Amino acid sequence: MFAVTIGREIFAQLTANGLFRGTSYGLLGAGFALILGVTGRFHFAYGLTYTLAAYFAFTLHARGTWAGPFSNGIPFIIAGIIGILASSVVGVGIERFIYRPIAKRAGATALLAIFIAALGLGIAGQSLISLLWGQQSVGFYDRGNHLTKVGWRLWKVTFENLDVIQSITSITLIIVFSLILRFTPLGRQMRATRVNPDLATIIGINSKRIYLTCFFIGTLFCAVSAFWYGLQYTVNPDMGARPVITAFVVAFLAGTASSPIRIFLTGVALALLEQWLSMFISTQWTQTAVFVVLFVYLISKSMSGTILGRQVKSIVTFQWARS
Amino acid sequence: MQIWLNYLDQILIMTTLGLSLNVLLGYTGQVSVASAAFGAIGGYTMGYLVTKNSVNIIWTLLLSLALALIVGALIALVAMRLSVEYLILLTLAFGNVLIGVASATPALGSTYGIIKINSEPHELNFFGWTMARPVDWLLPLFVVLLITFFICWRMGESAYGRTLKGIREDPVATRSMGKNTFKIQIMVFAITSALTAVAGAMNAGWLGVSTPSVWGFNFSLTVVAIVIFGGMANLKGTLIGGFILTALDPFLRRVIKMDPAKAFLVQILIYGVLLVVLVMVRPAGLMPEGRTVSSFFRRKDKSGRTEMIARTASTAEPVFATRKSEGAADQATRHAKWEQAEVVLEAKGISKSFGGIVAAADLDFVLKKGTITALVGPNGAGKTTVFNLLTGNIPPDSGSVTLRGKNITGRSLDAAARQGLVRSFQDVRLFQRLTCLENVVFGVQNQAGEKLSTLFGRPGLVKANDKASYEKAMEWLTFVGMQDFANVPAGALSYGQTKLISLARVLSTEAEVVLLDEPASGIDTKWVDNMLDLVLAIAAQGRTVAIVEHNLRVVTELADHAYFMELGRITAEGTIDDLTNSPRLAAAYFGTV
Repeated sequence: MFAVTIGREIFAQLTANGLFRGTSYGLLGAGFALILGVTGRFHFAYGLTYTLAAYFAFTLHARGTWAGPFSNGIPFIIAGIIGILASSVVGVGIERFIYRPIAKRAGATALLAIFIAALGLGIAGQSLISLLWGQQSVGFYDRGNHLTKVGWRLWKVTFENLDVIQSITSITLIIVFSLILRFTPLGRQMRATRVNPDLATIIGINSKRIYLTCFFIGTLFCAVSAFWYGLQYTVNPDMGARPVITAFVVAFLAGTASSPIRIFLTGVALALLEQWLSMFISTQWTQTAVFVVLFVYLISKSMSGTILGRQVKSIVTFQWARS
Repeated sequence: MQIWLNYLDQILIMTTLGLSLNVLLGYTGQVSVASAAFGAIGGYTMGYLVTKNSVNIIWTLLLSLALALIVGALIALVAMRLSVEYLILLTLAFGNVLIGVASATPALGSTYGIIKINSEPHELNFFGWTMARPVDWLLPLFVVLLITFFICWRMGESAYGRTLKGIREDPVATRSMGKNTFKIQIMVFAITSALTAVAGAMNAGWLGVSTPSVWGFNFSLTVVAIVIFGGMANLKGTLIGGFILTALDPFLRRVIKMDPAKAFLVQILIYGVLLVVLVMVRPAGLMPEGRTVSSFFRRKDKSGRTEMIARTASTAEPVFATRKSEGAADQATRHAKWEQAEVVLEAKGISKSFGGIVAAADLDFVLKKGTITALVGPNGAGKTTVFNLLTGNIPPDSGSVTLRGKNITGRSLDAAARQGLVRSFQDVRLFQRLTCLENVVFGVQNQAGEKLSTLFGRPGLVKANDKASYEKAMEWLTFVGMQDFANVPAGALSYGQTKLISLARVLSTEAEVVLLDEPASGIDTKWVDNMLDLVLAIAAQGRTVAIVEHNLRVVTELADHAYFMELGRITAEGTIDDLTNSPRLAAAYFGTV
């Protein structure tokens, strides 16, 4: 009896953790899927823009401007917004000044070339941040005490105010983005480019501009996610390493051409799975278990449409037809 | 002194890793960031076995090799069926999983990893030779490097390597030449993984530790940087790249006297920047594909070569065998001959729909020996789709294709080619970076150098067979009149010339049935007659030919029999005259005037 009560409490707590963390996974996945799905760029430097957003915000808040009223630091929220936007601009810059010229030159092997450049960019950026700001984590919190952690409790589940705000921001962004994608001309152009870039160009869509827009929105999503993560946990140079893998996994599990809502929900499901698994296996193994899910998914995906898969399918239908 | 020998050891290890990655990344065009992960398989195997008891490292090397071979094949089995992005994803994920598992397994030292692999109380030996000091490692590492280089060089610079490059340039075209790309990709991934694991095991032994941080992401990145910097698909470039990039660390620490922590960051920063800049400015790397060390220092050679190639490509003309139409027999005679000819390929009830769009509906037709059959019809009628369905490039939903009584329905493009059914492509699909001769020799079937067993087991046979293959290819190149272009890269050709090379490539397979997709479209009008002669000559050799062509003159002159297609259906058949004399078909084809 007692054990069951404990189990229920733990389950509720893990579910809450999963839901909060999941909104962040979902947002990261949606941003990466937008970039890969529409532009076809395997944007490994996604993790760099994640880290940069937090560092930009930190620097603006802690150091402020060189002169003027904010020489002692820009208010935290404003610094955060500027940091997120600045990081998004970096994302756009990467597409404009690095990926686009490479794609033009590499032609058919663009995916490989861009991935390698992105790999270099991500790792170079991380080292540069370490050299400039140091390898230790920095004190990322609101010195003005407007946005501070408050622990909340609902029934037997504990969480923080930041969990709630973070989730609300993520959900809002996804909903707004879905509406844009569905109902605005810009959204239609993005969807058209995703389905067939060549045809989209022929009917007069400026695909270069669409690519830049996708990079802006995609990076914005990851930057927002980084801001809240930094505030709740730590800001250090390799903070982008995990999220970029998470974003890949979520995006590929959901399918990069899926709707943002679907990708978002996949992120939530993945986080829930990760949390629930910790009831059965030690937390060290949960990450690995998530990858096992990915492997299983990829195996099933690789089987369908192959000769073997087709044979299995045809045997099944054949027998069904005879019976 | 010991320190410098240590650096030399490290250079040997990193270069060895670079060599095997280059076969995968440079030759085959497969992006893998799993160097660290497969290295870790070797490293942990070494650590686990050694710390249990002092052993001869040869056993740990062999075990690492076997483990990585199996794991590599399994990963490739999944990844190679999916699009290219998935291999990147899988190798990234695999690296994470492996380190995750190692960090959570007490037997592998958990997060601290396995330490003291090569110090008290453990001892490594190589057939009794204790390997404690840096100098002891020098020779074994050098031997591993040499063996790896030999294996990679043999795989890369041979008929096998040509197929690998084909996979990189155009997997579909590679399959159309009868190469089982799927199997080859799995083999290459498994073999390079195994070589990586061996180098990884040596690394752990030399370093004395195998910890999660040793096999972090930076390790993979360094190996990728060595390959890109040295030059993709150039193993000598990797030797140079491995030396320069690994020597960066002692340079920063010993020569510039940077503090170690900072030196490490600066080193990674340089690797990263190098990757970005190289991909943008010099994607071919320090030593581009096909470049030798000596030619690297002779700069004139390069300009001279390109000039020569440019000159050849612009001024040379294909040399066609004489003959201007001894006059193809009139249509009635040809059709009578067609009636008599023996059926080679038969398609029955072939259907295919994409979503709601019916691309092919219940198609029945035959191709007969020594005759030319044409598929005509308006754009979008599904003519090219028929070629895709016959060769299994797209599997049909229903129906059957039999070639000489053998059912080949919906196998694969390469299986069809090996059965003697080869197609050309409307968009040509030559291997741009290979020369014309290499493109044509690609089609020669059953080359000894394409099989790993003979490639390594019977070098003499491979050499003789290569020579024979090239001679055969040269004959076909001469047949289409392009012999003067043998050493010109396909990318430098005009469109019409690529059509000729593509034809020679199809012919070099010596397939019984050839499907030609628009052989005469887009080529110079003065060459059209020559192209007609070539196709007639192919049929005269007793081969079975099917063509899709829009040029009515071409079809009229060539076809012994024709099928008329509209919206995925065959609506009429007969001689071309029969078809063109029907007012309804003429209207369907030309539109109502």
